[in-house]
Amino acid sequence: MFWSQLDRVMGYYPVLLKGITTTVSLSLIALLIGVAVGFAFGIMRAGRNRPLSYLVGLYIDFFRGTPFLVQLFIIFFILPAIGIELNAFTAGVVALSNMAACFIGEIVAAGIAAVPTGQTEAAAASGLTKAQQLRHVVLPQAVRIVTPSLVGQFVLLIKDSSVVSAIGLLDLTRSGWVIVQSVPNGLLVFAIIALGYFVICYPLIWLSRRMEDRGQAAIL
Amino acid sequence: MLLNLNTRVMLEFLPEIWQGFLATLMLSAAGFAGAMVLGVIACGLSIQPARLLRAPAVVYIDAVRATPLLAQLYFLYFGLPRLGILLPEMLIGVIALSLNSGAYIAEIIRSGILSIQRGQVEASISSGMTYLQRMRLIILPQALRPTISPLIGQAIVLVKDSSLLSLISVVELTRAGQRIAVERFMPVEGLVATALAYLVLYYLLKLLAGLWSRQNRLPGRA
Amino acid sequence: MIKYSGVNKWFGTLHVLIDIDLEVATGEVVVVCGPSGSGKSTLIRCVNGLEPFQKGSLVVDGVSLGKDDAKLRHLRMEVGFVFQSFNLYPHKTALENATLAPVHVRKLPVAEARARGIAMLEKVGLGDKINSYPHQLSGGQQQRVAIARSLCMQPKIMLFDEPTSALDPEMINEVLDVMVALAREGMTMMVVTHEMGFARKVADRVIFMDHGAIVETAEPETFFTAAKNERTREFLGKVLQH
Repeated sequence: MFWSQLDRVMGYYPVLLKGITTTVSLSLIALLIGVAVGFAFGIMRAGRNRPLSYLVGLYIDFFRGTPFLVQLFIIFFILPAIGIELNAFTAGVVALSNMAACFIGEIVAAGIAAVPTGQTEAAAASGLTKAQQLRHVVLPQAVRIVTPSLVGQFVLLIKDSSVVSAIGLLDLTRSGWVIVQSVPNGLLVFAIIALGYFVICYPLIWLSRRMEDRGQAAIL
Repeated sequence: MLLNLNTRVMLEFLPEIWQGFLATLMLSAAGFAGAMVLGVIACGLSIQPARLLRAPAVVYIDAVRATPLLAQLYFLYFGLPRLGILLPEMLIGVIALSLNSGAYIAEIIRSGILSIQRGQVEASISSGMTYLQRMRLIILPQALRPTISPLIGQAIVLVKDSSLLSLISVVELTRAGQRIAVERFMPVEGLVATALAYLVLYYLLKLLAGLWSRQNRLPGRA
Repeated sequence: MIKYSGVNKWFGTLHVLIDIDLEVATGEVVVVCGPSGSGKSTLIRCVNGLEPFQKGSLVVDGVSLGKDDAKLRHLRMEVGFVFQSFNLYPHKTALENATLAPVHVRKLPVAEARARGIAMLEKVGLGDKINSYPHQLSGGQQQRVAIARSLCMQPKIMLFDEPTSALDPEMINEVLDVMVALAREGMTMMVVTHEMGFARKVADRVIFMDHGAIVETAEPETFFTAAKNERTREFLGKVLQH
């Protein structure tokens, strides 16, 4: 019985493949956009401009304090109301990237704060502008400090991407949901789905742990 | 104009949002309690020298942390009936939340314990304490301090995670908001009210964390 | 070159610089000493604008230190600062540390900046370490790179804030030798230090500060043998023990 069911599940191989592809591509795109926008947020949060830092902080807090599912619904259901039509994939990308940017923004702001003040003093003392200080001295060091956290963030992204299945997007989780309608063995089907995620995430988790251990020695 | 509609209509939905809010609160509290129990047990096992005791804990923690909560939820929702176990959705949801957060809490407590400097362990061993005495009097009291903050952080995560229970038809805040959005054709008001309700919980928990960290500032510590 | 007129600074209610009147001429080497908390670091940090002050005026190389950011940047090109904790950029080699400011502030072409960087690093005795990273160098070597880094900007004034205080004893001399050579070449220098041997060798004047005020100023020989003020003598008594 088990083997015949396993056989049937494997028959849904195209669905599973589409699911994995969607999950990975969604997460990667969201990571790239999230890092780019997140760095911008982080720099604004750590900057001298108090009102800007506060506003960005409020924006970030909103998306860190509400469930991703709710954010996804807001983007998927509300944006059309003001004229922006989105398909499920785009809505997923927008929501996931935005959330990633908010979390990464706080990580980057903390990283910038962790660069010793002596560094900015030395840079300022030699006549570099604030922008030059940031570009040549502060950011390179901040990036080194936050990289392990960023890898960890990528793992979180991949896991959060599973929520887009709620708006019908065929990612790895939804492919499981689809298959279980025809092969009613929830244990088997979702064990396979879980295995899929595990195979993607575990190496990243391992990498992040290793970077954290190594990073301590190299930076100092 | 869009904003005017908002406040008046949102107040109309207040009772439903409130019901959802209470449900979310209870589900999260139950989930957190279960997670604490699981987390303590799993952590305790993970620091044992005996491989046989450590292994199940490590497998549990790694498996949970490398897979999404939604997949775990569906695993239980679609899987338990196969084993002949029929449970109300709410219970399945709480179990899923407990299992998920339990793994993270295990790691948090583990970090706390590992952060105790070797010197403390050595000093207590030198004064002749047994393992249990060491744990009870020296290690655990010190380990507890740095864990409170991350635990509150995990509570925040748990509250947000509870929103996924709406996908298996559990009555809670997100479901309330979704119903207002879809069935009453008021997406903006419904979802924004939901978001605001979650933010209330978020800021309350953040306040708690802030109070603790202020309370925790010991002289002589950075 | 540097002129303090009635400079006063407060940190909240703490009066850290009290009525400072001081002139440093071109080519002069001034050593500032005093107990911890006397304000000596704050004093020299005012010269390149690292510390703002609330009252009085400070004119450096013709520029009056105030709120004008653009002028401050230009001034900083002419004033080199060497920190107690070196503050080398850890992600850059010694040569890159030295050429960063010349390229981006003085807008020197990269090749010229590199040539200058190599020359300065050779001058401080580290010609073989141009591609080393700070974590590969000893404290004394790092501080010498820091000096070379400042010199690459060809400043008119060099400020030193306790340059050897963070070094192990055996490395202090290699740094002091570089500073002595610099002084003998005619560089205008303000040095906060406890190294009295250095002061005796090259200082034109020694200033003693206590609780934010300048207590005594004298030429080295007079300062060390016939200090007029009671507190100065007390301080010297403690410092010159070893």
